[in-house]
Amino acid sequence: MSQPVLSLSHVVKRFGRLAAVDDVSFDVQPGEIFGFLGPNGAGKTTTLRIALDIVAPTSGMVRILGARSAIPVRARIGYLPEERGLYRKMKAAETIAYFARLRGVPGREAKKRALALLEEFGLGKFARVKNEALSKGMAQKVQLLATIAHDPELLILDEPFSGLDPINPRSLEDLLLRLKAEGRTIIFSTHVMEHAERVCDRFMIMAGGQARFIGDLDAARAAMPPRVLLRTAAAPDDIARLPGVVSVEPRGDKVGETGEREYIASLEPGFDPQAVLAAALAAGLTLTKFEQGGASLHDIFVAIAGDAATPDASIDQRSRAA
Amino acid sequence: MNAILQIAWREYRQYVFSRGFLLFLILFPVGFVVGAVAFSWAERQLPTRHFAVFDETGLYAEAIDREIDILAARRSLSAWDTYLELAAKKDALDAAVEEDAIPEPFAPGPVTTERATAFVDAGGAQAAIAAVRPYLRDGAPAFMETSRGIVRVDLPASAASADSLEAAADALRPFLNGERPVIGPEGAPVDLFAAVLIPAGFTADGGDDAPEAQYWSRNLTDNDLRGAIARALDRALSREKLETLGVDADVLDDLLDTDAPIADFRPDRDEEEAELGVRDRVETIIPGVLTYMLVFIIMGVGNLLLTNTIEERSNKIVEILLSSVTANQLMMGKLIGIGAVGLTMPTIFVLVGGLLTFVAPGANELVGGIGSILFSTPLFAIYLFYFFCAYFIFAMIFLAIGAVSNSLQDAQSYMGPVTLSLFAPLPLVLVMYQNPNGVIATILTWIPIYTPYAVLLRVASDPPLWEILGATAFMLLFAYVLARLMGRVFRRAILSSGPVKLSEAFKLLVSRED
Repeated sequence: MSQPVLSLSHVVKRFGRLAAVDDVSFDVQPGEIFGFLGPNGAGKTTTLRIALDIVAPTSGMVRILGARSAIPVRARIGYLPEERGLYRKMKAAETIAYFARLRGVPGREAKKRALALLEEFGLGKFARVKNEALSKGMAQKVQLLATIAHDPELLILDEPFSGLDPINPRSLEDLLLRLKAEGRTIIFSTHVMEHAERVCDRFMIMAGGQARFIGDLDAARAAMPPRVLLRTAAAPDDIARLPGVVSVEPRGDKVGETGEREYIASLEPGFDPQAVLAAALAAGLTLTKFEQGGASLHDIFVAIAGDAATPDASIDQRSRAA
Repeated sequence: MNAILQIAWREYRQYVFSRGFLLFLILFPVGFVVGAVAFSWAERQLPTRHFAVFDETGLYAEAIDREIDILAARRSLSAWDTYLELAAKKDALDAAVEEDAIPEPFAPGPVTTERATAFVDAGGAQAAIAAVRPYLRDGAPAFMETSRGIVRVDLPASAASADSLEAAADALRPFLNGERPVIGPEGAPVDLFAAVLIPAGFTADGGDDAPEAQYWSRNLTDNDLRGAIARALDRALSREKLETLGVDADVLDDLLDTDAPIADFRPDRDEEEAELGVRDRVETIIPGVLTYMLVFIIMGVGNLLLTNTIEERSNKIVEILLSSVTANQLMMGKLIGIGAVGLTMPTIFVLVGGLLTFVAPGANELVGGIGSILFSTPLFAIYLFYFFCAYFIFAMIFLAIGAVSNSLQDAQSYMGPVTLSLFAPLPLVLVMYQNPNGVIATILTWIPIYTPYAVLLRVASDPPLWEILGATAFMLLFAYVLARLMGRVFRRAILSSGPVKLSEAFKLLVSRED
């Protein structure tokens, strides 16, 4: 296996008595899209800031693009923070070129790239428009283009989907896949599972500052108990009494005219779903639907991080301490 | 280094190429010219003040007329000297004066009553222009005579026939209140500005019970006329006294017109260079001007630094910046860029001033003098050094305040004490200026945030070298410690999402780095 692009080893970051990042270790391989999943306040942003050496860790080690700190390799990294803005009085092309120059692209080349990127992303005619006059969607595109204009090997995007209008998320997903196809490594954090499910090769679920899971979707599903979907008019208790069933949860609120409802039954690890079906029929339950299936990333996320989700207020606390 | 320069250049461009700055650069000299033109226009447009005298004694009207004439002559002479300064070819004029080719009152000189009277007697401005015409610059503007300013008119008939002071006052009221005009010297109706009523028995020998002269006017702010009348009456009474003492009263005029010539010398110079000239006077004024300029530039650019840091922080641009450069590089870039903005304005003014020496008549000597003082002495280098020190000290404080504030409102609570300490020495500038090696100057020299101002003010007065070197070393040490502390606050606060409370800011200041 090639050398990881980013490697964190036993990284801890404390703000006073609070451990915002608590003994986190993971590797990101070249060319993969790695997701940082976690509820608000899980420690995602702090972990990314540590990776970029914007914030120093209390303990632990970081290796990024072969260096011990991001500072000497900054020109090879593109970073889009969660909270991002633009200089209001600067023009769109100027902004992109400025950030490219800061990351080592020569002046003339930076200008050329800025104009080409704006053209490519449909903002060509806004190149000389001041940022304050751009729509929110356009400003978001400019921010993203400023992140990639210096042609970075590694992209670190903190909640890139947050605040996007409904059309843009899909185009951002396409862009991420395109950048990956070009051989770049992408790390992005999100708390919206659908995006991660569609584009991530691997992901890490964080909660309470700790890494709760690292791996791909299959590994996560394998680690989850098997589940079945049933539609029946029977009481949930009757389903819960079936052999191998660990828990029963109604899916949605809707109850049909016949009193039927859909339930998700989680089974003991390794338990055969067919045995549940047989036991249900034997117990005289009338089923109008029976499906066996793997957990969605959302289910996995809720199962792993749900209990550790922290209230939003804590984010402010941490970032202030940062 | 490249990243620091990139940041500095962006900061510099943002302000210097902004419409506001360019507008200021255009408006400042325009405003200066407009102000100067407006001032000279206002000087010439001063309305002529007409007044009347009701003199029961019949003795003083002539004395008042004489004083008014002197006032007008002095004003006219003063305007003439200014005109010569600007419009004449200096060398040719000096040569002509040397050869007595110009009548004495028309040649430049001190404005004395004797010369002013001689100026009028020799034909006034018209004759003066004819006398100096060969020595004027090509295209020199015409001399504009000053208005006479104060003119006595005859009493209206109703007042002239009054049999008492009270009756005269009553008769003059409608004229003084603007209800009726009086007849001016050229026969046209004019407003009566004031009236002087001199009672019978108004004399030098009257003692404490002597009746007072009365000055009637609705305008209590323009005191030129009142002053002239007071001087005229003083002089008339003095003449009376002299006559009672048996002394020729004309002696008084000779005495009062005496102007003792005094030249200033410096004891620390060789004999031939000891006499003080224009250059010496400019040399003593420049440090004061530079000090004021320093304070205002620092306040101006400090505010730029503050608002700009707050914008980056509240707009969340700073995190993108910090992923590209270190916090120290960001700080340095901002310091250099905004400092350059602060130097741009005086630099442009110096260049424009230099340019003016070629185009403005008469400005050569003064501007040349200032230029030679600034550039042929170490003053300019000293100014630059202390400008950077003062700028650096205050800029670090402004940067740290910007880093802990999300809005100007947040910054206000910190800004109060900083502004106060920045401006605190201003009231003492005059004291230091007059006594540059006194106690106050010495104390301020040793307070690091005031060292730059104090040294600039004292530098032309040969302060003890050890004191300047010691205080400067102390200031540099202070600046270093301050930079460490403020840099720490900047680095640690700039990424926080909300405004930082005072107690938290203090913790950032004193606690160990992470």
